[in-house]
Amino acid sequence: MTDPKKDLLYRLADDQLILGHRNSEWNGLGPILEEDIAFSSMAQDKLGHALQLYSLLHELGEAEPDTVAFTRNAAQFHCSQLVELPIGDYAFSLMRHFLFDHAELLRFEALAASSYEPLAQVARKLKGELKYHVLHANTWIRQLGTSTEEALEKLQAALDLTLPYALGLFEKTEAEPAIIAEGLFIGEDVLRAQWLENISRVLNQTQLELPDLSAITPVGGGRHGEHTEFLQPLLDEMAEVFRLDPTADW
Amino acid sequence: MLSSLDPRIARLALPDTAPAPTPKAAFDQFETFEVFHQKKDGAAYTYVGPVHAPSADVAFLFAKEQYSRRFACTGMWVVPTSAINLTPYVGDQESVYDGVSAIVPTADAPAEPQEYAIFHLKKRGKAHTNVGLVRAASAADALYQAKLTFGEQRPVVNVWVLPWNEVLTLDPADRDIWLTTPEKKYRDAIAYKVQDRIERFKLETGTK
Amino acid sequence: MYGSVSTHDIPAQATTGLENEDPQQLAEFEARIARGEKIEPDDYMPALYRKQLIRMIEQHAHSEIIGSLPEGTWITRAPGFRRKMAQMAKVQDEVGHAQLLYSAAETLGKSREDMLTDLINGKSKYSNVFNYPTPTWADSNAISWLIDAGAIVNQMANARGSYGPYCRALERICAEESFHLKYGHDAVVHMATGTPIQRRMMQEALNRWWPPIMTFFGPADKASQHTEILMRWKVKMASNDDCRQQFLDMYVPKILEIGLTIPDPNLRKNEETGKWEYTEPDWEELRRVINGDGPCNQERLAVRRAAEENGAWVRRALQAKRQAPKAVRPLA
Ligand SMILES: [Fe+2]
Ligand SMILES: [Fe+2]
Ligand SMILES: [Fe+2]
Repeated sequence: MTDPKKDLLYRLADDQLILGHRNSEWNGLGPILEEDIAFSSMAQDKLGHALQLYSLLHELGEAEPDTVAFTRNAAQFHCSQLVELPIGDYAFSLMRHFLFDHAELLRFEALAASSYEPLAQVARKLKGELKYHVLHANTWIRQLGTSTEEALEKLQAALDLTLPYALGLFEKTEAEPAIIAEGLFIGEDVLRAQWLENISRVLNQTQLELPDLSAITPVGGGRHGEHTEFLQPLLDEMAEVFRLDPTADW
Repeated sequence: MLSSLDPRIARLALPDTAPAPTPKAAFDQFETFEVFHQKKDGAAYTYVGPVHAPSADVAFLFAKEQYSRRFACTGMWVVPTSAINLTPYVGDQESVYDGVSAIVPTADAPAEPQEYAIFHLKKRGKAHTNVGLVRAASAADALYQAKLTFGEQRPVVNVWVLPWNEVLTLDPADRDIWLTTPEKKYRDAIAYKVQDRIERFKLETGTK
Repeated sequence: MYGSVSTHDIPAQATTGLENEDPQQLAEFEARIARGEKIEPDDYMPALYRKQLIRMIEQHAHSEIIGSLPEGTWITRAPGFRRKMAQMAKVQDEVGHAQLLYSAAETLGKSREDMLTDLINGKSKYSNVFNYPTPTWADSNAISWLIDAGAIVNQMANARGSYGPYCRALERICAEESFHLKYGHDAVVHMATGTPIQRRMMQEALNRWWPPIMTFFGPADKASQHTEILMRWKVKMASNDDCRQQFLDMYVPKILEIGLTIPDPNLRKNEETGKWEYTEPDWEELRRVINGDGPCNQERLAVRRAAEENGAWVRRALQAKRQAPKAVRPLA
């Protein structure tokens, strides 16, 4: 993909769609009624973000949002591998939410100053929404991260498991130099540094331990269409009805 | 393994016959918090309902999505149920304040006066609404102070007295958490307009 | 039951227990209701009133939480952004309704955890319709539109009932139900007026769902002293038959106008009586399903139980940080 705008938008939108889809799997099965509701809202928000971003792509000449979302195969997706992993237990889903949404908040804060005005507008609008998401994530990690042995064990395991994938959020594409040069976005390296600072600040208030990052190899590939074995089945499931009758208006 | 039409359930890989649930201890639940919302700037805070939560900050997270995921909202108060003092309920035409008199000072050293938020219920079955704050040395005194300040209002079926220091409020700078709420039209009835399609169908099929 | 009191499964000889109530308090209580005033949690109320309301609101709450599952079956497969987001919002609302209703029931003195325990142990009932499967997307649409339509008939009636906290919860619930109804109708109309594949899917789903829908409001109420008291106390607001007739009045024309057929050759409106006539539903099957022998009873409870068990560590962790248990009963 050559157009840096499209490159950026596809990565953003695919992450939102796939994580929103994953998190919706908890709907009705969550640990506490009220949390079930809150988590569902945030998943809906992610789908809303995805829709807005695919709409920008549509303005740039790509297909309709529904077509883009429901008819591509895994190799055509640019999401990070972090978002496609199955929901696991609630510790896993919460930890992914914490790591992802911290990056998401910073990403959109930076995008609010993008030279690509339509994207900057979307980003500015979402500031408050994302503030709640991160408040939610921080509160949960602080609460559970200072609680029982059992919870600490689960959360630490989730952190150890998700962190290499979370680092994959910052995987660069060939368009990176152009993206930065054109002022579309501050770039993945700057984002990653800010993100690390923010998640460390919260984790430091808990009994959880951030693993030594220098010893971790980030799990990349997603931005280039290389995915885990979980993405294609997810897409098949998501499009099961949509593909029953491609001519239909559902 | 339990087979299911729901792919999410299938992934849970539940056994065919569920094991007996673990018995629960008494009071195996969180305390409750009562939630009040403000629909627009300057409007009185109104009771919306309770949430179960382990602490006020979590209660706020829960309350925001349970009680303000639709329509405009400019503020939310969350207070532990156990912190609220309430009067008995009287009839729909009466006032609770008729039975309230000044507090006889006790021999104890008077407590430092503090603020209390006063809520009135105007009609049974409706929601309590904030009428203002009073300063008082105790919750009982606050009720009397409320009578002096708001006692003219009738009817007052029930009064809630909330110690202000127990109320979790939101920093006004964070109100933008509701900024996009009214735009989420997909969860509003008005977004679904299908009459044209029905009319078109009737014309095409000659049923009209 | 989804909000309508099921008098049919109360033993006919159930005593009213009123002989234990203080006659003056009882008279004042009845006079208040007769004046159109609501009862609030701290008021005197007869034990039978409390018991019946707990039972009714609890069953309603269970129906919401279990009712989120048949549509949840399609949450990951809803076609297109518009449907995907709305399906999530609707399932979320149903969980929210459970939260509101459990809270209303708690004001009467039964804790949420007790109610959830009774649900997963099979001790409490919920609406029989949720024990039927949703094999296709169209089945989910049929529920969104028609089961919710039935629920609204019930809930609008109950919102005029006498218990304050239940009325407050229902006010919020009914506002959200209007979204469900519109969304469900929109989805069904798109299917029924769509491509041949869509139309066939929708008709087949309606064929599957019509019999459960006809049992939704329960069999005709038995005339009994018990029913009469519950009506007088505004606990039971409308007879099961009246609700069914109202539902048919409102929705049969809407189903027919989009080219769907209703799988009951006997269904017709008697112009003389103004009443719908229909094939008598299989009440024996309803009884069997309510008592656990429906196609999905086992799965529904197993899933609810798994959700409780899988989430237990979260609740334990948060619980451990608290001091002694404080208030567990919401105020209103
Ligand atoms: Fe988020
Ligand atoms: Fe509902
Ligand atoms: Fe509903």
